[in-house]
Amino acid sequence: MNNQYDATVDELEHAADDAGTTLYGDHEWKHPTVVAGVPWKNPVGTASGTFQLAACRHFYDVSQMGAITTKGVSPVPWDGNPGVRTAESPAGTVNAVGLQNPGVDHYLVDELPKLKELGATVVTNVAGHSDDDYADVVAKLADSPADMLEINVSCPNVSAGGMAVGTDPVALSRCIGRLRKLTDKPMIVKLSPNVTDIAAIARAAAEAGADALSLINTLVGMRIDIRTGEPIIGNVTGGVSGPAIFPIGLACVWKVRQALPDIPLIGIGGIDSGEKALEYLYAGANAVEVGGAALVDPTAPLRVALELEELLDARPELAEKLAKGDTWR
Amino acid sequence: MTAPFTPTVAEAKAAGFQPGRRTVEVVDHRQLADAVHRLTFRDTYIAQNARPAQFVNLYAGNPLHIMPRPFGVADVDGDLVSVVFAVVGEGTREFARLRAGDHVDVLGPLGRPFRLERPSHYLLVGGGLGVPPLINAAQKLAARDDAAVTAVLGYRDVHFADEFFTQFGIGVHSIDETDGNVVTVLERLAADGMFDGGTDENGRRFEILSCGPLPMMKAVAQWAARHGFATQFSMEQRMGCGYGTCVVCTIDTAIGRLKVCSDGPVFTGTQLGWTD
Repeated sequence: MNNQYDATVDELEHAADDAGTTLYGDHEWKHPTVVAGVPWKNPVGTASGTFQLAACRHFYDVSQMGAITTKGVSPVPWDGNPGVRTAESPAGTVNAVGLQNPGVDHYLVDELPKLKELGATVVTNVAGHSDDDYADVVAKLADSPADMLEINVSCPNVSAGGMAVGTDPVALSRCIGRLRKLTDKPMIVKLSPNVTDIAAIARAAAEAGADALSLINTLVGMRIDIRTGEPIIGNVTGGVSGPAIFPIGLACVWKVRQALPDIPLIGIGGIDSGEKALEYLYAGANAVEVGGAALVDPTAPLRVALELEELLDARPELAEKLAKGDTWR
Repeated sequence: MTAPFTPTVAEAKAAGFQPGRRTVEVVDHRQLADAVHRLTFRDTYIAQNARPAQFVNLYAGNPLHIMPRPFGVADVDGDLVSVVFAVVGEGTREFARLRAGDHVDVLGPLGRPFRLERPSHYLLVGGGLGVPPLINAAQKLAARDDAAVTAVLGYRDVHFADEFFTQFGIGVHSIDETDGNVVTVLERLAADGMFDGGTDENGRRFEILSCGPLPMMKAVAQWAARHGFATQFSMEQRMGCGYGTCVVCTIDTAIGRLKVCSDGPVFTGTQLGWTD
């Protein structure tokens, strides 16, 4: 059986062509992109929550990614949610970790310097329970070597902050407006798909000072154990990721691009192949991130980058636009 | 069928990395008891590198079931690796359908193994599906001159794994639910004087390596504490990625909230706070 969740005949033929490719040589990336002025060596990054340096660095050279997006970093250490945190769902998984992390002070002396030492382009994901929390973290990161900040106003698994901010245009505008004053670093706002009109939220973020938008975060979902009749996950609901959400993320990117022609976009959701990454680029994204696929294969992000590179070889017009910081549409 | 990008194990090793997910051949499938299956596949890397209590991820060839299932490496024979599992849901049912000649995706070995540096007399105390992951420890310890090993195994009914221990010439004391549990066996061995003085006849201190249901392991921890024996437990938890990234398999221990997949699965009784 192959590595793809749902390989088509075309993908399988492509597979045979690529059998000799290697992750481990000195790879000269041919098709860079630019996101809010920051050069990425290729258009594929890791998505927040699915990359942990200590775990991933054993499997591939993390500096080869377009960018590494870290797990959410909070002002103080967070223990995350108690109880069961995961349940498989059809072509996906429901997770409710609750942003467990050792806090920004630890991040600044541990993971961030290690990532920079390895040569990675780093997007630091910022988590909070309140505007004050976000402001604390952003202020501490303002002079750090992080290349970009990603404001996580879309986590569905925390009791305050997260999605509560990112689904209300007024709250979002207030939060992002305040953070904008604290840093000159390129600031990405990560959007939730759990809204009626994602374009309206995107516009609020852009007008409040976001330099770029990443979308989508996970969708709210749950599973019930039919032996007990009770929810499997301790948090009751969690965030759905995996191939199941691919068409949803793609439609969100399309809608936001139609509404906001100029803001840089990072497409996320169900990407497990170069072909799926390419669909996001054709929808108007400047770059993409691989999330759930990394949980079923540690080397998936780099594999997607290599596959996409070959697809871009055959699409010079698109590759040229990306290299200049432009998008297909 | 190879994946679109699959670095070979040799390429990964040459570059100093662990090999990622790869496709391997199934060479044997045996049913050991009702709903208990032993699956054997060929993977030189796991065979050469798996240490006792490490596990492998297996991935179902069904796009609806994307998440891996983690299984402790049971025994290793040349380049063949066996795992033992029970069918508990749709994911494990997929693996129960595999036959010799089929292919399956694997990742591993994963997790931190038992520490076996001390020249102890190791008591392998396993219960149910916690028994097979101890086979690899038995295999490694039986080959050593400076350590001794005795297996204490508990089952619901069929003693499906005893033969995998006896093949290494190891003493096996097993029991099923009609007669008691592993602590019943440990008490009998104690009554026979096996643990008198805290060492065996060669002066080796006893040390427990255990894997099984949580209540069993806690009972073993309490028994061991009464005898002053060091303990290591291989824990189980619902996992996601299995390699330390997703942080869903956490447990609360005396030293904090830790990931079973990459901080463990092996923890000492002290780390778990079970020895007080």
